[in-house]
Amino acid sequence: MESEANSTIFAYSDVRSIITDGFIGACNAVRKLIPKIIVALCLLAVIGFVSWLPRVGALSLDTNKTQIEIWSWNVAALALKSLTPPFEQQHPKVSIYINMSGADPGARFLLALASGVGAPDVVQLQATEAERYTPTERLTDLTALAGKYEKDFVPAFWQSCVHDGKVYAIPWDIGPCAVFYKRWIFEKYGINPDTIETWDDFIEAGKQIDEKSNHHTRMLPVSITSVSNFFLLLMQQNGGGIFDSEGRIILNSPQNREDLRIVRKMLDAGITSSVADFSADFYATFSTDTIACYPAAVWSMQQIKTYASKESPGNWGVFRLPAFRKGGLRNSNYGGSVLVIPKQSRSSEQAWKFMEFANCTVAGQVRQFRESALYPAYLPALKDPVFDEPDPFFAGQKVNRLFSLDIERVPPLVRTKDWNEATSYLAQTMSDWASDKMDDETYLQSAAEALGRRLSRSVVKPADTGERP
Amino acid sequence: MTSSTSRGSLGAAIWRNRWFYIFISPFFILFALFGLYPLLYSLYMSTIDWDGLMPPHDVGFNNFRTLFQDTVFYTSIKNTLLIGIYHMPVMMFLGFTMALLLNQQWLKLRGFWRAAVFVPCITPMVVIAIVFTLLFGGEYGLVNYLIRTLSGGYLKGLPWLDSASFSKITISILLIWRWSGYNMLIMLAGMQGIPQEMYEAATIDGANRWQQLRRLTIPMMRPTFVFCMITSLIGTVYLFEEPFVLTNGGPGTSSTNFGLFLFNNSFRYFRFGYASAAAYSVAVVVLILTLIIYRGGRSATD
Repeated sequence: MESEANSTIFAYSDVRSIITDGFIGACNAVRKLIPKIIVALCLLAVIGFVSWLPRVGALSLDTNKTQIEIWSWNVAALALKSLTPPFEQQHPKVSIYINMSGADPGARFLLALASGVGAPDVVQLQATEAERYTPTERLTDLTALAGKYEKDFVPAFWQSCVHDGKVYAIPWDIGPCAVFYKRWIFEKYGINPDTIETWDDFIEAGKQIDEKSNHHTRMLPVSITSVSNFFLLLMQQNGGGIFDSEGRIILNSPQNREDLRIVRKMLDAGITSSVADFSADFYATFSTDTIACYPAAVWSMQQIKTYASKESPGNWGVFRLPAFRKGGLRNSNYGGSVLVIPKQSRSSEQAWKFMEFANCTVAGQVRQFRESALYPAYLPALKDPVFDEPDPFFAGQKVNRLFSLDIERVPPLVRTKDWNEATSYLAQTMSDWASDKMDDETYLQSAAEALGRRLSRSVVKPADTGERP
Repeated sequence: MTSSTSRGSLGAAIWRNRWFYIFISPFFILFALFGLYPLLYSLYMSTIDWDGLMPPHDVGFNNFRTLFQDTVFYTSIKNTLLIGIYHMPVMMFLGFTMALLLNQQWLKLRGFWRAAVFVPCITPMVVIAIVFTLLFGGEYGLVNYLIRTLSGGYLKGLPWLDSASFSKITISILLIWRWSGYNMLIMLAGMQGIPQEMYEAATIDGANRWQQLRRLTIPMMRPTFVFCMITSLIGTVYLFEEPFVLTNGGPGTSSTNFGLFLFNNSFRYFRFGYASAAAYSVAVVVLILTLIIYRGGRSATD
């Protein structure tokens, strides 16, 4: 036993000396190479620096051209790409580079702004995120250039681009809402969509379909995981909100209580399907008879056309969003985006020219609508005949015109920098409201107070929220 | 080395060994830059209110005070613990059983089986997420389809992802599927580290297979178990990808775990100070838990 232990120790020190000797040998070998390594590193640094210069514009290889870099993604980026040839023809000294690479552009943009380097010339932002960036003074003030366009945009969208009377962003596309429905289901159960004028009518129609289909076909999807999406759609339609213009929390308002009452009525009537928005199940229902219709924004049209089965063309239709009461507003907004120019941009003048072409001209907006179905926020573009073209997918209905109706009447919505946090809080807690059958007012009040604590904002008492507009 | 330990000779010793220090310096430089500096900076951040864009302002311990009143924070801790309780025992058991099986001489195609069990943890999470959402979809998911078909339409299937009571279980199933192979591999290595002579001696002493497993394999594997438990514990606390892609923390906050809570607060709400405070609070707890497991494992081995 003892000899074995000894031999182990012996072997161990042996190994150790081999390692140390080897290490010293390696060190000495590398030591002789150190000067060469230093020279090589210096060379690399010089090469790197020189190749970096043209990128930052300090040394342009093609001195005649200014490059405008744009961060955008998805179909929106493709829409901008379609504008590149006509724009570059008009402005031969500018070249447009649309950067679609990289995950999570929002976080990347934040890092670029926070660190002061790396932001491009133009950035796409969700309309809901605009108010996070407009007060930061890190975006170019566009008031002098863009102020004249104010009257050409829907006020509800222009407002989220303005902070303290200064314009920092330009609305790009918007998400007006209507109801996409399956014609064959409505015909089968004898429902005439023209008779659905209010949400109450809508619920009645849903009950009929539910009864006649023996509880097989549901009117619409309202899953407890995405119930807040539908609530936000109703909130914008009804002129409710989360924040008032002073940033106080006004969640427990008569309008919001009415929104919740509608959702509760639908859940209680048993006309809702529990399929969660934008899940695999959700897209599958486009081709089945389990859901009759989808109150949604105009950009859902692309998804429906993509995912609905091949027999679908001509089997779909669109009717206007039901109103809260007869004669009420039959439109809303869900989604949309804006373009901004960070202050870091070295060619903000050319960047503005491109942005103006994309967002504030009929030609630019119509081209993007044709390319990627981006629905323009620029009102003059909506007068273009392209929006009056019948769509065979919807049995020749002029659906694009339908979405634009009353769009200028959609009430504005104050979002503040905390919109993301507030809406995810609603998404988290509203599923409890939906499944626990919590009383509407109790829920809104407790959510308002919880948000007030989290965001350090004061909560307006229900009595102060004023009359319905 | 008979020299005194005065300052001068320490300096001289360092100078004499300068090449060693230079050659080990890259690690320390990189660690200081990418490990230590962020660590200290987030400690500082936990005392400020900063959204990355507006000028930060000092709030002292306010972040911590808000944190300890934040119900979502407590829910996220509770969910983390529950997910850990749901998946860790099953995962450990499966890992051990599979390691035991794959260590048998009589098993054919051992290399193939080992690779097959290990594949889930090298598969990109996005792919797994798509497959799992298709499997566990409420109305058109394969699992519910099987439940319905096998029960002859008697059972309706379960709301795997759409109900607050099932979302954590679904995530745990994914975790078990994904990480059992990894634990199997470590346990297999631990098992093969047990000298064959000990089994021979046990056989001579008349121990049967079961006795060998209970009295020899399991006690000898204790350090491996401790290692697996510590890595799984840390993995559970900082779990992020799985709930992020599968349920995104929903429905409600039913599957929002601590990793997701951190992500939401820092990169969705841009409240870096608050997120740092949360990260530091939990890091302290994890450190204590790790020490307990480590000590427990060591004293049991000694």
